[in-house]
Amino acid sequence: MQSFRSQSLELWNRRLHYYLGLYFLFFLWLFSFTGLLLNHPQWRFTNYWQDRKETQFETPLQPRGPLSELDRAREIMRELGLAGEIDWPAQKQTQGRLDFAVSRPGLLHRVSADLIQNRARISRIEVNAWGVMNVLHTFSGTRVNNPAATRDWTLTTVWVIAMDAVAAGLLLMVFSSYYMWYRLKPKRRMGLIALTTGIVTCAFFAVGLGWLR
Amino acid sequence: MAKILYVWTRDLHLYIGLFLSPFLLLFAISVFLLNHVRAPVSAVSATPAEVRVVRVPAGIEAAQGIERVQLAGEVISQLGISGEINFIRAVPKESRLVIPVVKPGVEAVVDLHVKEGTAKVSVRKTTFGESLSYLHRSPGPHNAAIRGNWFWTRAWQWLADATVYLVMFLSLSGIYLWAMLRAERTAGFILMLTGALTFAGIVYAVIS
Repeated sequence: MQSFRSQSLELWNRRLHYYLGLYFLFFLWLFSFTGLLLNHPQWRFTNYWQDRKETQFETPLQPRGPLSELDRAREIMRELGLAGEIDWPAQKQTQGRLDFAVSRPGLLHRVSADLIQNRARISRIEVNAWGVMNVLHTFSGTRVNNPAATRDWTLTTVWVIAMDAVAAGLLLMVFSSYYMWYRLKPKRRMGLIALTTGIVTCAFFAVGLGWLR
Repeated sequence: MAKILYVWTRDLHLYIGLFLSPFLLLFAISVFLLNHVRAPVSAVSATPAEVRVVRVPAGIEAAQGIERVQLAGEVISQLGISGEINFIRAVPKESRLVIPVVKPGVEAVVDLHVKEGTAKVSVRKTTFGESLSYLHRSPGPHNAAIRGNWFWTRAWQWLADATVYLVMFLSLSGIYLWAMLRAERTAGFILMLTGALTFAGIVYAVIS
């Protein structure tokens, strides 16, 4: 006979599992589907880059006093009405120039500013819905190969919080499923086989490949 | 019939979910690493570069794309290195090819001096966290023409794809199992609707 506390824990554990699943359903579908797309760049129907719309224009800039590169970039963005995450080029800025990109899912502006002539050349690149979805999967404001890259747009932070919440929700769902399975005595043996197979397979890739000659 | 469908769906949801759970943990934990780890990747241990004599395959300098990767594969196997070969950087003036090789746990760079027939090998052992991040991003969209040049990268791609398809199954079967619980329909529906609105609201704000 189960105690009231045990029954209550079981009920709320089960509820946590499907409430989280239902709340994060659309996020999970987005990240799952876009993960598939990112792993298959050869799929032609999702190849958004070749269908991009690119336009270029030049515009004068207001003269400014000495500012840091970030502040100057923000001033230029404000003047041009641009919003998004700032991406800096890998190489150092040339004296008297400021090159950077402003990105958000679906839209990229490459800004090349001449700070002496006070002019900027802007390249505006717009991609289709496939491109938007692809970028959403990786839109975190950080770069694995560029530790200096930091988030500087509030909405990037909001999106990262959403990604973190989905990941945390997934962790909770996995652990709640372990508890639900543990409570089902007739399913323990088959469940153990399934779980062990998953652990061994996953561990082989995460750890075992490093030992492989 | 409805009972059989319910029982089969519930059991498949359970067993597939248990099999998939380590992969879901891997992908979920690596999200935090990819989103928040900004410190330069630190070497767990980097062995001092070692110069070794190798037999250089004919035509490796002239070859391009996957053909060059295959010839580079012959070089790295002589050195006892295995892994996915990334973009090979050529330095024609010095008759050199820089061959990066990566796999979970190890990153190696083979600096091949074609004329001398020697290779300078640097190996770095990576952290467990870096391995998880690497697997999360692998194979990924970059260098599509040469990607999957190592058997285990292709095997991982197959598993990553399978994870997506099985997550789709788990979510659809989960919806079915929830819908069978009449007492939970209202609360579940409100949560699903709230989640959908949150999703649509954030996506709209980010893209518009």
